[in-house]
Amino acid sequence: MVAALALPGAARTRPRYGGTLRVEVEGDPWQRPGGLARGLVLDGLTAMSLDGTARPALAVEWKSENDNHRWQFRLRPGVRFQDGSPLNSSGVVASLTDECGGECPWTAVHAAGSSVVFTSDSSLPNLPELLAGDDYRIALAGAGNPVTAPVGTGPFQFTAFSNGILTLAANDNCWQGRPFLDAIEIRTNRSIQYQWLDLNVGRADLVEVPAEQLRQAHDQRLTVVAAPSVSLLALTVADTGALANPNLRAAIALAVDRGALSNVVFQKQGEITASLLPAEVTGYGFLFPAERDLNKAHELRGGVSPPSITLAAEGGPAMQLAAQRIALNLHDAGFNVQVAASSASQRGDLTLRRLALASNQPQPALESILRAAGLSIPVSESTPEGLYKTEREILDTHTIIPLLYLPRAYAVSGRVRDLRLSLDGTPQLANVSLSDVQPEAAP
Amino acid sequence: MDQARKRYNPPKREIEGNMKPRSGLRRVLTIAVLILFAAGLRGSVAAPSDPWEQPAAALADQIAAILGPSQAHLVIRNNSQIPIDEIPAIRRLLEQDLKARGIQASGAESANVIRVTLGENLRERLWVAEIVEGNETRIAMVRVEPAALQLQVSISGITLRKEAVFSALQPIIAALETADGLVVIEPEEIVFFAHSPDGWKEQTRVSIGQRRPLPRDPRAVVYPVPDGHGFEAWVTGMSCKGLPQSSADWTVHCSESDDPWFLTPPQSTRNAAAADMSIRVTPLRAFYDSARDYFTGVVTPNLGADPPPFYTAVVLPRSDGGGLLLNGIDGRVMFAAGGALKPVSGARDWGSDFALLSSGCGSATQIVASSSGEANADSLRAYDLPALEAIPASAPLTMDGTVTALWSAPDDKSIFAVVRKPAVAGQNDPYEVDRVTAICN
Repeated sequence: MVAALALPGAARTRPRYGGTLRVEVEGDPWQRPGGLARGLVLDGLTAMSLDGTARPALAVEWKSENDNHRWQFRLRPGVRFQDGSPLNSSGVVASLTDECGGECPWTAVHAAGSSVVFTSDSSLPNLPELLAGDDYRIALAGAGNPVTAPVGTGPFQFTAFSNGILTLAANDNCWQGRPFLDAIEIRTNRSIQYQWLDLNVGRADLVEVPAEQLRQAHDQRLTVVAAPSVSLLALTVADTGALANPNLRAAIALAVDRGALSNVVFQKQGEITASLLPAEVTGYGFLFPAERDLNKAHELRGGVSPPSITLAAEGGPAMQLAAQRIALNLHDAGFNVQVAASSASQRGDLTLRRLALASNQPQPALESILRAAGLSIPVSESTPEGLYKTEREILDTHTIIPLLYLPRAYAVSGRVRDLRLSLDGTPQLANVSLSDVQPEAAP
Repeated sequence: MDQARKRYNPPKREIEGNMKPRSGLRRVLTIAVLILFAAGLRGSVAAPSDPWEQPAAALADQIAAILGPSQAHLVIRNNSQIPIDEIPAIRRLLEQDLKARGIQASGAESANVIRVTLGENLRERLWVAEIVEGNETRIAMVRVEPAALQLQVSISGITLRKEAVFSALQPIIAALETADGLVVIEPEEIVFFAHSPDGWKEQTRVSIGQRRPLPRDPRAVVYPVPDGHGFEAWVTGMSCKGLPQSSADWTVHCSESDDPWFLTPPQSTRNAAAADMSIRVTPLRAFYDSARDYFTGVVTPNLGADPPPFYTAVVLPRSDGGGLLLNGIDGRVMFAAGGALKPVSGARDWGSDFALLSSGCGSATQIVASSSGEANADSLRAYDLPALEAIPASAPLTMDGTVTALWSAPDDKSIFAVVRKPAVAGQNDPYEVDRVTAICN
């Protein structure tokens, strides 16, 4: 799993520079996590390599001390922001502080010469992997609009947003090298139906394929690039209020019919799971049974009629449909469930969410999932036995109920070359080139 | 610190391409040789007495610590790629090891059940025992190192053969085997490896020290110095020289440079052997566009022709004198000789990279070119070039990924290819250097 997939037959001739890639997305390209524009404009101190470990990005090296309570990251020299300002440690500190505000995983961060130093009251064994995430990308403080037009060090820079189209231009001085494309146009808030229509008539080069429409995309013979099992569909369960009783939470976990969710809502594109980490990452996934057990759910409920509980779903129509399905499952087990849309600030007793799997190394992957679920539990165990125990302890609280692992996919036009998806399924557009551009000389 | 994890790949040989029909006798002999070859390999793989002995004993230890002396029903489930015919042997080992620790395997009627799952994840095998005593289930696990051996053999006539030399997580843009080890050029570092019993072992890495941003598709060339100890390298915008002080210690000097890159080794003994070909006696150099990924077309000494910008060029010896074969960034393959630039036909299937191979077969020297077609993996194919027409001299050799760099060994008797493999679950080294050689039939 978690194989970042590529378009077949990448090499052939060397990529050519030039051209504009036309991308269409259903949501906001700046959203976190996974917004396309963020990864193109902003870099992190680290980046995620294909084996799921952190590799150098804006930091060239790092070391930990004091049992991972103190980390020092040395910055890459000579890096400049897209406006020409030099990257320095105080700028990084300002950016990180702006990015995570009061919810940073570390206790303090400060500049020390050409290094950035993190200190934490609790051990942060996976900080390098954590810093590769979307939440900790570095933007130039005080420049541009930090939300919709940030200034970063990435391969593309913001140039305009007009009529729903975000335009990014190649950063000629990018420390990673100028991208092959001259520009990327991202048409935002475009429905999947219109995205596919635009792809078919040659008005778009890269469009989204939701998991539940993957089969349809194949039926329509779209050229699809997919990364399997990159997000965990899970229910987060409040352990207060109506569901303070752990037996009720356990009953909910047993009442959900994962098979129906996978087969009906996600068109058999999901991988059923009752463990937080995919079986391919751990090898012990089978120890967490995923079968529905209504009898036991009734037994655990113990004849108690709990008060009505709310189920919120984050995301589009498929997530709402999945929530409706889960509500029916829970009704079978004697729960009265009201389904509602969700926002980050307004969650239900139950919240159906997609949690990004940021790594295929079990330790940072588990920590990233827990953090995305709002459970800030540093994972220091690295052995299979230790990880199993950690997962078991967390899942036995029934505050998070894993359901399915879902793929992330895109469909592309015939002019797109060398498209690869990163571990979290984000397209790596800086390495994409177009087959129909004419050879051009460097300026 | 982020460690670039390197490992030696056991040689994976794949032989493809038969351009000639084989006689019956020859076919029989070839098959016989292959059977012997395969049998020999199988024998060598199975050498250590039993790879399952250690994990079976370790799992039995853990089970015994949980269960104590007793009877239990042993159930084994295989969720891994262990061949099904090896499961009885694993069962026997587990039963023996459990018995030695006081646990007697019994029938299904036993109150205790030991459910062993032979599983695996992206990195390793994992054996998990669920020990069920009444309503209580306890877990034991052992990790099993993956036994990696992949071997594919097929048959050929005139044949290209590949062998994995080295693989790495980080991008490789050029490499050189020297008398002192392996020099690997990464976009920003030069890494030195020495032979060890376990394969290549990293000795040291040196920053190239570029001050300007690299292009997105960085390239490099690296040649040995004449005595075989040390190297000269050209990396986008830089040139470097390295001399070994010992196998683990190299002195490397890199400096910014817009000097033209050598298209052939700077001082090659081959040049003397080809003294009748003036173009090879004087090494050719070409200016590289350090903001892009190609040569500008300016070649020194002047060829008399006016080459277009090109991705790749090789000096091609021919009976009528040498010339420069080049692949323009417009995809056209041209031959520059005698002050003229002539198109080469039959090269429409070529990708951007090719290299010279002195196979000794047929016309003695072939061009090996990467493919240009859409496929799941690039391929390499040898071509003869009589009368400016590319004639296939071998069948395509599949490379299991994208060929990102291709160059001739210093003696031209083999070529090296960097292959970027598609991301595959459990495969963590996407960049592989393959040595490609030819077998004459």
